[in-house]
Amino acid sequence: MRLTPAGALVLVAFSVPVAIELRTLFGIFGVALPLASVVVFEAVLLAAIAVAYVASSDSDADAAAKH
Amino acid sequence: MATFVDRYPEEASVVKACLTVAFVSLGIGAFFGLVQALHRTGVVRLFSSVDYYTVLTAHGVLLALVFTIFFLLGLFTWAITRSLERPLPNIRLTWAWVGLAQAGTVATAAAILAGFVPDIGVSADVLFTFYAPMKAHPLFYAGLAMFIVGTWLAGADWFLAYREWRKDNPDERIPLQTFMVLTTMLMWYLATIGVAVEVVVFLLPWSFGIVETVNPLLTRTLFWFFGHPVVYFWLMPAYLMWYTILPKLAGGRLFSDPLARVVFVLFLLLSTPVGIHHQYLDPGIAEGFKFIAMTNTMFLLLPSLLTAFTVVASMEHGARQRGGEGRLRWLGALPWRDPAFTGMALAGLMFAAGGFSGMINAGMNINYLIHNTLWVPGHFHLTVGTAVALTMMAGSYWLVPQLTGRKLYSRPIGLAQVVLWFVGMVFMSNAMHRAGLAGVPRRTAEPQYNSFDFTTTMGSIEELQLQIAVGGTLLFVSVVLFSFNMLASAIEDPVETPVDDRLPAPLSGADGSPRVLDNLRLWTAIAVVLVVLAYTLPLASIVQDAGLFGNVPGVPMLIGNFVESLAGVIA
Ligand code: HEM
Ligand SMILES: [Cu+2]
Repeated sequence: MRLTPAGALVLVAFSVPVAIELRTLFGIFGVALPLASVVVFEAVLLAAIAVAYVASSDSDADAAAKH
Repeated sequence: MATFVDRYPEEASVVKACLTVAFVSLGIGAFFGLVQALHRTGVVRLFSSVDYYTVLTAHGVLLALVFTIFFLLGLFTWAITRSLERPLPNIRLTWAWVGLAQAGTVATAAAILAGFVPDIGVSADVLFTFYAPMKAHPLFYAGLAMFIVGTWLAGADWFLAYREWRKDNPDERIPLQTFMVLTTMLMWYLATIGVAVEVVVFLLPWSFGIVETVNPLLTRTLFWFFGHPVVYFWLMPAYLMWYTILPKLAGGRLFSDPLARVVFVLFLLLSTPVGIHHQYLDPGIAEGFKFIAMTNTMFLLLPSLLTAFTVVASMEHGARQRGGEGRLRWLGALPWRDPAFTGMALAGLMFAAGGFSGMINAGMNINYLIHNTLWVPGHFHLTVGTAVALTMMAGSYWLVPQLTGRKLYSRPIGLAQVVLWFVGMVFMSNAMHRAGLAGVPRRTAEPQYNSFDFTTTMGSIEELQLQIAVGGTLLFVSVVLFSFNMLASAIEDPVETPVDDRLPAPLSGADGSPRVLDNLRLWTAIAVVLVVLAYTLPLASIVQDAGLFGNVPGVPMLIGNFVESLAGVIA
């Protein structure tokens, strides 16, 4: 399945609450993370989305090349 | 292929007249939202804290009452006309209610905004809940009354249209969208009895000086009699779009027509006998009555969960029609490029989050933890502020081209707009919830206290303030993009087919649903009985304690006291 630009944009949007709430989740277990951790979480999520996006357009290009 | 405006030009003008008021209110209301978000977080202060309630009243009234309800008036007019496939029976009546509601809105808005200029001597800083003891200029209540009568006439107009249709189609099932409009309006008639009595019998005479005092608890209770069902009046247009438009945008069809009907009937039955759940902390109402309201409220979760199920099932069906596969991978096959679809889907997602924080509000004991804190605005910016508002904005991308016969100016800007709303609201609402847990109050320009520091479970208060300010700014930018896109769309060149406006039939159609679902008289009767059961005793006890217009001190705290005093009266 190809990750479209719009799909990637929605994933980026969705990553924001995930990053914020990850810190809350750690908080429940008594691990108080600083604000910077949210930034780091978010950066990791964005990187993951970017990788998925590039990978899916590559595999798409491969698929197109085979035809 | 012609679209709505070609088939029903007059009705299209009515819908446009309603949506225009809605969008103008949205623009002004959002500006006030930004200003107050920046003010109360101390980031930028553009006005004196003394004016805070003027700003907050304008924000609440323009967004929660004017924007949402005018959108509803437009959407329902469109839905009735297209689903009955005939023009409205009496277009003069239609324009009459449009005019009345608009005039009422102008009067109310003028009374509020006059508060910025003390010299005029008119003000209405009573917030959008407007119950006593806060008093507004009579113009505010008079405008409100006109607005509400306008909605009643709109309902009458739609019922007349239905009756005409019924004459020609004696044996057919009520078309789904019409069914949704009619059940919603029945609920509205029942709900607005409370606010009509409150305004006409108590607040208006009080504001004119005809009566000296009112019984504040009585006006609050009458307000919340209306104040809970009004949230379903906001939500039902969104539900109408989620049930009948979203599946189509997703590339599929509605999963089940009967289930949709059941949901709307449940809302008609259960919306009103729950209002006391807003009054868990009011001392004059016995705990037992509050407990009954809480129980009814928990039942209300059922139609919302049914909706979540049906809507997601329809979306999955759509995705699989588009070639989506796998357990979760089908999500990728959804038409995320379409701002109408993406906006509605994100709105639905946020509504789920709002549902969870709503359960906290609804629980009598945990409500005490968050009552009157910033948690509460955090909650309802997810529900009315996103599930409803974002669905309405997203729906406009699909609806407005049918009314103007012109294409949407820009889909990418539309997509950016809905995504920006989602991100902005994540920031603002999340921080509001967390600040509320730390005890930060709502409805104040100056949330800080002398020699007291709020303690958060995590992070600092400053961090939360900043998060609110950033979120509010993103939301405001989102509204600017929306307004720009709508304006630019209005001056596009007219085209034959501005948008694919066909709505496919549901997978499981009305034929399969029990006929009794369409028996509107039966459901209305049951709804009335439930309201009588839920409200007679509490209202009687409130009036008995302090009089209709309020002067007797002393209020019972437990249902036992009330039963004792009732026994005393009878003996
Ligand atoms: C630009 C987007 C928005 C921003 C920045 C914003 C900001 C705020 C803030 C900060 C408050 C809390 C003020 C306080 O309690 O002191 C508030 C209250 C409120 N907002 Fe919004 N809001 C926005 C959009 C909306 C929308 C779309 C709706 C409804 C459709 C809405 C309805 C309300 C209501 C009903 C209140 C409560 C007013 C009261 O307590 O009387 N807001 N808003
Ligand atoms: Cu409620």
